[in-house]
Amino acid sequence: MKILFAMLLAFADDGLDPAKLLTPPTDTWPTYNGDYSGRRYSTLAQINQSNVGELTVAWMAQLRTVAIKSTPLVVNGVMYLTTPDNVFALDARSGRTIWHYFRESQGDHIGQRGVGMYKDWLYFETPDCHLISLNAKDGTVRWDIELADPKLGYFATMAPLIIKDHVLVGVSGDVTDVPGFIDSIDPVNGKKQWRWYTAPKPGEPGSETWPPGTDAISHAGGMAWITGTYDAESNLTYWGIGNPQPVLNGDGRKGDNLYSCSIVALDPDTGKLKWHFQPSPHDTHDWDAVQTPVLFDDVKNGVRRKLLAQGSRNGYFVVLDRTTGENIFTKPFIATNWSSGIDAHGQPRPKKEKEPTPDGVLVSPGSDGATNWMAPSYDPNTGLFFLSARRLWSVFYMTAEGKAEGWAGRDRNLWAQSVLEGIDTKTGEIRWTHEIGEGENVAGMLTTAGKLLFAQDNSDNLMALDPATGKTLWHVNAGGRMVTSPMTYELDGRQYLLTPIQNVILAWALPKSRD
Amino acid sequence: MAQVERGRAQFKSSCGFCHADDATGNRAPDLIRSALLSHDVNGDLVGPVIKNGRPDKDMPAFPTLSDKIISDMVAFLHKQAYDALNSTSVPNDYPLKKLLTGNAADGKAYFNGAGGCSGCHSPAGDLAGLAKRYRPIELQQRFLYPSHGVKITATVTLADGRKIEGRVVHDDEFEISITGPDGWYKSWQRAEVKSVEIHDPMTAHRALMEKYTDKDIHNLFAFLVTLQ
Repeated sequence: MKILFAMLLAFADDGLDPAKLLTPPTDTWPTYNGDYSGRRYSTLAQINQSNVGELTVAWMAQLRTVAIKSTPLVVNGVMYLTTPDNVFALDARSGRTIWHYFRESQGDHIGQRGVGMYKDWLYFETPDCHLISLNAKDGTVRWDIELADPKLGYFATMAPLIIKDHVLVGVSGDVTDVPGFIDSIDPVNGKKQWRWYTAPKPGEPGSETWPPGTDAISHAGGMAWITGTYDAESNLTYWGIGNPQPVLNGDGRKGDNLYSCSIVALDPDTGKLKWHFQPSPHDTHDWDAVQTPVLFDDVKNGVRRKLLAQGSRNGYFVVLDRTTGENIFTKPFIATNWSSGIDAHGQPRPKKEKEPTPDGVLVSPGSDGATNWMAPSYDPNTGLFFLSARRLWSVFYMTAEGKAEGWAGRDRNLWAQSVLEGIDTKTGEIRWTHEIGEGENVAGMLTTAGKLLFAQDNSDNLMALDPATGKTLWHVNAGGRMVTSPMTYELDGRQYLLTPIQNVILAWALPKSRD
Repeated sequence: MAQVERGRAQFKSSCGFCHADDATGNRAPDLIRSALLSHDVNGDLVGPVIKNGRPDKDMPAFPTLSDKIISDMVAFLHKQAYDALNSTSVPNDYPLKKLLTGNAADGKAYFNGAGGCSGCHSPAGDLAGLAKRYRPIELQQRFLYPSHGVKITATVTLADGRKIEGRVVHDDEFEISITGPDGWYKSWQRAEVKSVEIHDPMTAHRALMEKYTDKDIHNLFAFLVTLQ
């Protein structure tokens, strides 16, 4: 009877209490980045430097879908992952499908980065900019709302961030000059709690960074398309904001164009802006600053510092005081040729002569960036920040004649060399660089207490590196590209490493003991 | 297209004064960015606005314009919006005159001098008729980085000292594979061989990217387009 009672209790507690997100247990991966910090660091150490060479395939799942770009969630032994229009629930012990939700839609199907979870419910964004809440137990729809009008050029890809009783979402779209925003949605009924537009209204602080008396500020762009992070202590959520519009032509939007290409800190209860920092003022190269703002603390001269770091798409590594937004330092993480230097505020200033022209200018990096959406990782043991970076050369053409609208030009890539880097978060110094081949790497990273950094090179090799040195400890040819990030969880005392390769999920683990 | 051109002329005379000749806005709003146009299908939304005007916003009505004229103007507006939407790439027929801003004589001097191009290439040899082979934008891309059809070779020295040379099929941190002189594919774990020497003719092109000024590029392009 006692056992039965305990089991009933366990079943009654199958959902995900948002308070649990503050101290995630090791048997779950309850949010896009694993926890609120954005570190993609796991305290699991069963798989470690001494045994990583013994990793074997625990299970595989081949989903009838396009490449998986989402980071799966794992809660109570169930895995939830997505592709555009699709949500799958799998048994995290075997990979078998429990349910599959499909909803056909119009809109850009470029990718889908995962669901958010609150109690027994999932939250899923669609290519036509709907936010759909599903029952996690069976994939049935609870409610379905439209976040933005897809006919205006919006689409959606990101994994919602759940903070207390808020579902935070952003959308995508930069082929038209539409305004970006972050919405807070009530997880119970789908009602909007607040909306924060990523550009100020005329007359508000920040509006002086747009030309007065034009429509530029109301067509500012600035999409929030990568999941933000959250510091419960200061109750601030941190988001990266995308490029201004028109994308490659800044003539009609002279000024720094806040809050495009910025990192912003918002109060999740009200949507009020606390501070901002802009890594790419007046961007004309599509260098969204949406890369995960990673949160960590350190101690300098006996004083604890609450920090935030971003490896920004423009090639600069930025460390901020996450309480105030004050710049601690900005350093290049790779060579670039577009900036005239870092100003007193820590912002790299753009060179006018590297703006796109009709006859083409050679710029490094290209619009794909010196890094991009690939998840970085931070390892508290070494204090290093890990980044998938690239030296990329591209020629930028400004093709528009007359008033620029939409992209108004584009670059053509010439050549890229990808590297993994371990960056010292105290100094910005590159401690190690590990070449991973020509072309653009798009795989994210994961570090663990097993002193392992998981990544993939450009030849399809999954790799475990020593985070302290970047030295390879294990590799296997996965036969395809990982276009998402590895993640890990523990069930029944066994640690799993999960690596989606295209539409095939590989779950790695140590061999089960034979006795 | 004739319809779009008729619409362009009609729009200019009836609407251009307020909305600008290209519909991107003047004293009246930019129509390319208008939500109404985004939702319009064959004039079902825009047509009535033209006919009836928007008295609340001081837009006059145009009740005398024929359905055909309105249809032409709507076609023009949709073409303008389509062009903005599709400005996300540089077309392959990008015009030569936009690219041709450099000085051919300076480009030739760079080719033979600072660029070091003449070390590997010859205008009368491998580059003869170059400008006839490619469209202008492709020519500019290819001289900067000819990514296709480049032969990378490797010399693999085996543990026993034997050397095998061939065209590289795959090369990464862990493996090297080549097509050997006998035409057969061979691969090795890098850890198993003594050394691998890669011969990559693109090294010079990559080094140039660190050196080029944009002026050098435009001058070099102006010279290369003379190789007809």
